[in-house]
Amino acid sequence: MSDEGEGEGESEEHENGVVDVDEYDDVWVFIEEHDGEVMSVSWELLAEARTLADELGDDLVALAIGEGLDDVAEQALERGADRVLVADDPVFEPYRADPYGDQFRAIVEERKPSIVLIGGTHTGRDFAGRVAVPAHAGLTADVTELGVDEDGLLEARRPAFGGNVLATILCEEHRPQMATIRPGVFEAADPDGEADGEIVEVDVVVEDDDCVSEVLEREVGDTADITEADRIVAVGHGIDGDLEPARQLADALDAEIAASRAAVDEGWVDGARQVGQTGKTVRPELYVAVGISGAVQHLEGMNKSETVVAINNDPNAPIFEHADYGIVADLFDACPDLAEELEGVTEPQEVVQ
Amino acid sequence: MSWTIAVGVKQVPDADEVGIDPDTGRLDRASAPAVMNGPDREALEAAFRIRDQAGGEVIAMSMGPPNATSVLEEAVAMGCDDAVLVSDRAFGGSDTWPTSLTLARTAEALDADVVVCGEETTDSSTGQVPPGIAAHNDWAQLTYAEAVDARPDENRLVARRDVEGGHEVVAADLPVVVAAAYGEFEPRPAPLHRKIYGENDFEPTVWDAEDLEIKDEVGLEVSPTSVGGMETVDPVERKSEVVDDVDDLAESIEEVVA
Ligand SMILES: Cc1cc2nc3c(=O)[nH]c(=O)nc-3n(C[C@H](O)[C@H](O)[C@H](O)COP(=O)(O)OP(=O)(O)OC[C@H]3O[C@@H](n4cnc5c(N)ncnc54)[C@H](O)[C@@H]3O)c2cc1C
Ligand SMILES: Nc1ncnc2c1ncn2[C@@H]1O[C@H](COP(=O)(O)O)[C@@H](O)[C@H]1O
Repeated sequence: MSDEGEGEGESEEHENGVVDVDEYDDVWVFIEEHDGEVMSVSWELLAEARTLADELGDDLVALAIGEGLDDVAEQALERGADRVLVADDPVFEPYRADPYGDQFRAIVEERKPSIVLIGGTHTGRDFAGRVAVPAHAGLTADVTELGVDEDGLLEARRPAFGGNVLATILCEEHRPQMATIRPGVFEAADPDGEADGEIVEVDVVVEDDDCVSEVLEREVGDTADITEADRIVAVGHGIDGDLEPARQLADALDAEIAASRAAVDEGWVDGARQVGQTGKTVRPELYVAVGISGAVQHLEGMNKSETVVAINNDPNAPIFEHADYGIVADLFDACPDLAEELEGVTEPQEVVQ
Repeated sequence: MSWTIAVGVKQVPDADEVGIDPDTGRLDRASAPAVMNGPDREALEAAFRIRDQAGGEVIAMSMGPPNATSVLEEAVAMGCDDAVLVSDRAFGGSDTWPTSLTLARTAEALDADVVVCGEETTDSSTGQVPPGIAAHNDWAQLTYAEAVDARPDENRLVARRDVEGGHEVVAADLPVVVAAAYGEFEPRPAPLHRKIYGENDFEPTVWDAEDLEIKDEVGLEVSPTSVGGMETVDPVERKSEVVDDVDDLAESIEEVVA
């Protein structure tokens, strides 16, 4: 065996990381920001966590890690946090797993939260384990429903096997009870304008010299939020690289463009617009699936849509079973025709960024 | 300079074949055929690309029951130099904490410079095992890697990572755990002679919890999470009306959006 990696840091007093759970309280929400821009899932979680905290009689604590966080902290208070913890240092910008993980873990071990909620973005899913493993916390990934049971335990529910089953995951003897939650499953609350909680600066425990990774380049463009859209035209592999027909339809319907993972992987549509298990959960009044087969991982993200329409040239495509209305047709004919028929059918919405 | 690259491959029930037991309402995993987790094929391809650049060996590692040997044979057929099965009854009921500990110890025992995993498994789909391995060993990590670039002269591995709304290029010191973004590493065809070797002659090394000195740190007992219940979810009710022409479809849509 190599002699590297003695970094377990598990507390020795307890057998197998079991702790006295009564020493832990409060509900924490990680506020994910990049360059001052907060990911909407963080506000979704803050709204949901307010309910949990009230039910438990706990404080709601927001935690932000980054550089220049005054604005972000203020927003978190306006959106209902009782307290905001900030670790503010250039070492955290841009994001890297190792300094984030080390810092987050240090705050958790010092302050002992009972529940920690993290958005299930690539960033959240990247560092959550670096907190949960050394803290020997329970971590449930990809959660879509939260609740508390009669003993005050967090019930983290997540779909298993393509959404046929919802599993309830509990963490009884370890703390914190951590979960990463899919973007779009909860709704954010509007800020109420009052910010009477406190902002606490925590000690920064990491230094650049100790970091084992370096960001050489970072390019972020389209961060469209499809989770708020009322109407969506989603494209799949069937579009074969040509977005134009779907765009025409989207324009006529005043809809946002979204995509299956296959279309994202091809580079036709940006990943921020991906719907599904490893993308976003959307809840529009109308979801039009264009050239999408209807794989379980895709359905999981679109099932909350009110009405689903499918356009596909394969009569046996599973998407038809999961749609309200469907047409077996070539999308390159059907989309422009439909766009023409529907022109002007919707009142123009305000433009959502 | 050559690198030892360990790849996590997991045996999972074939996602298309998993049914629900009509009597218990539980998933009937047992009757589904066991296959290699799809994203792990791409992890193997990512590992081969690293080997192409840096030289060295690719070793598949799987934690699972004895019959998980079949996915290791397949991994060897696809181009791995060797494979290890980590198998022990003591692993039963492990959640991601002990699972990633076991794989972290296996990677250490192999003296791995790089561990490559899939983005997530199709059965537990947590994506937490790769960061878990990195955390247990206090190694660097590169998740959602869309492309890899080995830099043996710098003793670093560079990856292009998929991030919300774009991408970033990150360099990590060795040892490092990589999770390959699903859909980005098209597996190369297996050479015929490897196929024959993998299927007919190859036997993986087998380690148990004792060998890895983790007997008391695995299984249900040390797993922080437990399953409190399983509910079958009724599929969302849809009308499933298929119309023949665009006019009818436009009419239905108008009713919704008007
Ligand atoms: C771990 C994991 C996570 C995943 N996460 C996600 C996720 O979050 N979101 C997601 O979407 N997928 C996800 N997937 C992938 C998923 O399994 C499917 O592979 C994917 O959804 C398929 O995308 P698609 O329907 O666009 O492509 P395909 O399955 O290739 O379907 C294309 C469809 O277009 C139709 N078509 C072709 N040409 C035309 C035409 N001219 N006119 C009309 N129709 C046409 C075809 O009949 C076909 O039905 C995940 C997979 C894994 C393993
Ligand atoms: N039992 C296992 N044996 C080997 N590799 C595994 C195992 N479980 C998970 N992995 C690796 O970790 C990745 C993510 O798995 P998961 O966190 O379970 O979604 C997989 O794609 C594998 O590469």
